[in-house]
Amino acid sequence: MGFGKFVITKSVSYFLVLIATVSILYLLTYKIIQNVIVASATEQGDEFRQALLKTNTHLTPAQVDQLVHSYEQNYLSQFALNQPAPVKFAVQMYRLLTFNFGSSYEIVWNGSHNVNTIIAGYLPNTILLFTTATLILIALGTIIGLLAAKSAGSIWDKIVPMIAVVHSSLPSWWLGFLLIAALGYGLNVLPAYGMTSVPPPKNWFFYDINVAQHMILPMLAFLIVGIGGFAYVVRSLVISTMGEDFVLTARARGIPESRVLFRHVFRTASPAITTQAILAVTASFAGALTTEIVFNWPGVGLLTYIAIFSNDLPVILGITFVLTIILLVGLYIGELVYGLLDPRIRVGND
Amino acid sequence: MTSPQKNKRPSVLRELAKSKSGLVGVGLLILIAGLAIYSIMGLPSSLPLSWNNGDAWVLNPINVPPVWFAELQSNYAPTLNINLNSAWKLQAYSAGTYDIYVYSSSVNFTWNSNIYPQNVAFKASFEGQAASASITWMKPQGGSIVVSITQPNSNQIYEAQNSYFIAGAQAYVTNQTGKYFATLTKPQVISTLFGRNGPNILNSTVSEGKYSVLVQIVSNVPLKSLSGLLVVIGNAYGYMGTDYQGKPVDLGLLAGLPNALEVGFLVAIVSVVVGIIFGGLSGYLGARKDGVMQWVTLVVLALPALPFLVVMSYTVRLNLIIEVLLIAALTWPFYAIISRTVALSIKSQTFVEADKAMGIPSYRVFFSHFMPRLVPVTVAYTVLGIPGGILLAETLAFLGIAPANIITWGRILNDAFTNQAAVLGFWWWVVFPGLMIVLSAVPFVLIGFALERVIAPRVAAK
Repeated sequence: MGFGKFVITKSVSYFLVLIATVSILYLLTYKIIQNVIVASATEQGDEFRQALLKTNTHLTPAQVDQLVHSYEQNYLSQFALNQPAPVKFAVQMYRLLTFNFGSSYEIVWNGSHNVNTIIAGYLPNTILLFTTATLILIALGTIIGLLAAKSAGSIWDKIVPMIAVVHSSLPSWWLGFLLIAALGYGLNVLPAYGMTSVPPPKNWFFYDINVAQHMILPMLAFLIVGIGGFAYVVRSLVISTMGEDFVLTARARGIPESRVLFRHVFRTASPAITTQAILAVTASFAGALTTEIVFNWPGVGLLTYIAIFSNDLPVILGITFVLTIILLVGLYIGELVYGLLDPRIRVGND
Repeated sequence: MTSPQKNKRPSVLRELAKSKSGLVGVGLLILIAGLAIYSIMGLPSSLPLSWNNGDAWVLNPINVPPVWFAELQSNYAPTLNINLNSAWKLQAYSAGTYDIYVYSSSVNFTWNSNIYPQNVAFKASFEGQAASASITWMKPQGGSIVVSITQPNSNQIYEAQNSYFIAGAQAYVTNQTGKYFATLTKPQVISTLFGRNGPNILNSTVSEGKYSVLVQIVSNVPLKSLSGLLVVIGNAYGYMGTDYQGKPVDLGLLAGLPNALEVGFLVAIVSVVVGIIFGGLSGYLGARKDGVMQWVTLVVLALPALPFLVVMSYTVRLNLIIEVLLIAALTWPFYAIISRTVALSIKSQTFVEADKAMGIPSYRVFFSHFMPRLVPVTVAYTVLGIPGGILLAETLAFLGIAPANIITWGRILNDAFTNQAAVLGFWWWVVFPGLMIVLSAVPFVLIGFALERVIAPRVAAK
């Protein structure tokens, strides 16, 4: 199997996964999606009525009702609401897959009710915070994991299980609380809330510094909790590779230990580590939802929280579908990169 | 016959006992199991209902630290719940055409704090109609304040800012200072009750010592199921303080333990059993069937956990079981992946090849070789899956998504968040619920890791 064939097989497989996953989501949320469509049709109809009354004063109320009604029907027909089930499924799925989520009930971004615009407004903040944090986490986690695997019984080898326990038992949002109380308010050394000070600095340079300062506490909470998981995975992958025969052979040939570690072990384990890293970066787009809430960071997580408490279903649906698609794209890229890095797949010797 | 080497090895439990962290885990597990049993047995079943009803906690001070913490500070006034029930005495008189029943109870308490309490409250509950109630408040240096309440209502709470208390305090202040005050504020009433006698009673230091309180309830009919409570509301409460409604944090944490553990256990069991069987079969069957089953795993893996659960909470009415099934529906693929790897490594072993060569049916091979080796893995990952379930359920509760009528730590923390507890310095309201989450997760993580270390080499043994 050559790499080209690998890419094609994986692409087909992942496209089918995309359809299947979005279909599952769609079917599970079918009822609320229909409600949302009807509700947004009514809202659009009301807006249309307002516009109509402003511009065309000569219309009778009956005529206005007529026009609004046909406008609403036209809107509903865009979603194939009155069509047979298969058509409806196809049309609505197409709209979901092309990021067409309608308008929000209450949440506004720059004056727009469009769910797309809203999510597009919040997502970059999440990426800024958590993708940066995840990259740091990958770097530190790989180093710690390698150090732990290199010498069994060393201090690093003892630290990794400990931070892995922290990873599995500490909610990062609660740690966020503690950091806010201790560093943000107790010692008052770091800003604890939001993305910028109020009012934000005018000068772009000071603005960036200000944002960076606001990033420190949430990143700290994310890193302290997250790093153990990644270091543990790296350590396991490296240790399992170290047991392979070719490593023994390399050592027997008298190759220096550091060279064995980096040239032989790490290189062999790197496709798996890279896949893990890509998965971590992908997951970072979903952010640590609750961490954002605690730090009032205006990302997708905070948006979800606001949407939950204002019952803004279109936004919640939109976020879920967008994150599903992002997650899938990440899994797909991870798989391709794995194929690229793993010589058995790349060279086509299965 | 299946694996003679197995008998040579010490039992899993004995090996587990060698692991220090595993032992710590077992110790913690016994501790939280004890707490959970106490919670189920010792707490009233009506607690979840009254928990979310703020009225049930009005007699508690709000946003106050734990008593032990307050004791470390100099400014500390305890909260005293003085039960009047043990001392009710009944005297009945006949006044010709009608009878008079006087219920009286006399209690003492000692006030050793040098600061004033926040409030004083009196509550009596009874069946029947009471004509009047009087509270005679005798101070350590002598002198007594009489609060007379006409036609007291059952279960009504009379506090220091109540007009009956003000009237009683007015009389006493006039007596001490020689001046008449048209009205008194709540702090002034409390000064009257707890201050030093004399012209400066409204601005004096606290009078420490033994207070006596005589409560008398007068009625023309016998009062049934009479009970009374006198509360001196201080600035500290219980082992873990109180929240914005006066709810004791320690009680909430205790009440939240059983359902947190229940969610954790059920999520782990359901997702691990489904995942191990699915992944085991996938690895065992191999070839095309394996491909399809892996594809199914991927479809589920692509669902983003938290947003998915949030959306689902809008389509179904959550109860504990549905919440468990929803979480398990998202988490089983992780176990399927692990189990598939294990199954693949078993499959490559010679005894499997031998069985196949001997023509033993495949289902028997699966049950005689695969399942016995998958089960230990199952146990280890079930234990590791429990904290995951607990954390996810509490995170959901923090987002406001939890079955109605159960008490969750996530909800308590959400209340703390919306009331800015971390900012306002109400650390007990933030620290203890989170510590409880950690405490309930850590034993399983420790035991799980220890089990994994013991079991993984056995399964992977070549």
